[in-house]
Amino acid sequence: MERSTLGLKLPEGMRDLLPGELASLEALEGKAIQVCKNWSYQKVATPGLEYRACVEPDANKEDRLYKFFDKNGHIVVLRPEFTTPIARMVSARQRGGIFPLRYCYSGDVYRNDSSRYREFRQVGVELVGSGSDIADAEVIALAVEIMKALEIRNFQLSLGHNGIFSGLAQEMNFSPKLREELEDGIARKDMVKMESVISQSELPEAAKDLLLSMPHLTGKEDVLNKLQSWNHIPAIRRAVESLRTIYLYLKDFGVQEFVSLDLGILRGFSYYTGAIFEGYLPGIGSPVIDGGRYDGLYSDFGINLPATGFAVNLGIMIEQLQDYEVENADILVYGQSPGAVIKRCRELRKGGKKVEMALGYITDTDARKMASSRGISELERVES
Amino acid sequence: MTKNFITIALPKGKLLEDSVRLLNHAGIDCRSVEEDSRKLMFELTGSEARIIICRPTDIPTYVEYGAADIGFVGKDTLVEQNLDVAELVDLKFGYCRFVVAMPEETKPPKLADGSYDLSVLNHKRAATKFPRVAQMFFSERGMQVTPIKLHGNIELAPRVGLAEMIVDIVSTGTTLRQNKLVEIAPIMEATTRMIANRVSYRIKYERIQGLAEKIRELI
Repeated sequence: MERSTLGLKLPEGMRDLLPGELASLEALEGKAIQVCKNWSYQKVATPGLEYRACVEPDANKEDRLYKFFDKNGHIVVLRPEFTTPIARMVSARQRGGIFPLRYCYSGDVYRNDSSRYREFRQVGVELVGSGSDIADAEVIALAVEIMKALEIRNFQLSLGHNGIFSGLAQEMNFSPKLREELEDGIARKDMVKMESVISQSELPEAAKDLLLSMPHLTGKEDVLNKLQSWNHIPAIRRAVESLRTIYLYLKDFGVQEFVSLDLGILRGFSYYTGAIFEGYLPGIGSPVIDGGRYDGLYSDFGINLPATGFAVNLGIMIEQLQDYEVENADILVYGQSPGAVIKRCRELRKGGKKVEMALGYITDTDARKMASSRGISELERVES
Repeated sequence: MTKNFITIALPKGKLLEDSVRLLNHAGIDCRSVEEDSRKLMFELTGSEARIIICRPTDIPTYVEYGAADIGFVGKDTLVEQNLDVAELVDLKFGYCRFVVAMPEETKPPKLADGSYDLSVLNHKRAATKFPRVAQMFFSERGMQVTPIKLHGNIELAPRVGLAEMIVDIVSTGTTLRQNKLVEIAPIMEATTRMIANRVSYRIKYERIQGLAEKIRELI
């Protein structure tokens, strides 16, 4: 049946990839996965469809999911990320696993929002079962090594910590309303709202100062010294110590120069509990790496495990990366007898060559033209 | 282009003059912007910056994608579009309010506390340039009101029966009076904001924060 106008289009945020474009994406993906494997991360896959109850248990929350009903009337969604599905998988199939588990993945994720790419490729890792600072440092260093392997030079990684805000909230006994308003302000990155909520709150002046200054605590190690006066709050002290330790390990990993400390990383409070980090590339308006520690997620799945990890949003940076060449065939085979041509092609392929077969008889001149236009260096005419 | 180079998106129209004045005072010499009202892009060679002039409603989009590092835009537009940008400073100018308004003759009865009884407006329609704001306001009150998106001259809609009420921004109230409309409920207040792309704000932090602080001192 002939297609209607709609049938000729793609849904918003979707795109096709031609051979050159796909070659670039796959080359990058392959390099990134190779680095992960060199660090002993094993590749896993989870399905494209999950129950909504898995990826977003809060039924009232506004979400950005592509949703469908299955035959039983349950809501299923296209996966918006891999971290939660991997937690589901580990809790279901690796309860007795040997921890820490190191998993990596690559695949497309789907987000039904207004962004340019609503389906894009992610490569990422999860390090499950270790709550130590060295685990955080390992995944951050791995993220840097991946960017280096992708030959991306001008990226910047920012490292922050969710424990400072939550420690303060707990210590100062934030009312649920205040907490909700601040979290909303942080998620929306609305500093104007945060300022007015903070200054109108009944918090002590020092706490107000800390909250107001957090977005501006950015730089190298010295930003941590500015938090010294909060050492009496255990959660803040732990967060600062942990950042300091991670930062030192990053030096051992040889990646410290790529990472700055930034307590102003503004992110919604989804599932992150500890050190969080983001990777930026000039010219790309959203982070190309999202990562951090999420020690509460696995307990939602009935298995209490600390974990950390990150995802590289390969799909959103593809246009900034160099083109990779499509692999052309090694040889073009042509001739008058189809049977003889097919036979010769089979022999050559068996021998490991990439072979293009002319469909129907062509002259020597046409064969030369065809080969040169397709970047095929060798020609073979089969005599019958 | 150096790391500290920034692109600033300014809204054409009534907010432009105030925005340019503020930037001038903050040390970004953009007098050239005032001289030529048809140009859309100005390279400010002395200031490591360039200015682009956009439709006010497009500014969050330029900033979200990072095509502009910072922008000046009304809170009304920000709330309606709900895009992923960082909101840095309340610039205090361009004050307006979101209100629900109705024709004088069909306004709802008043409740004991002096406010209008909005509950009689269920199953009615509201003409607006801001369907998201309207929807949020009514649905938070459990009301079923259908927003009808228009692009201008909202006041016309109730007069020809397209909608029973309007949701719009008012600054002085003159337009409402001229069209025999009365405000029946306030929704929220809005002023102009300085916004930044979330990645630019982190990688060009010093430049952008420096500018934000200078601006904050001026208002």
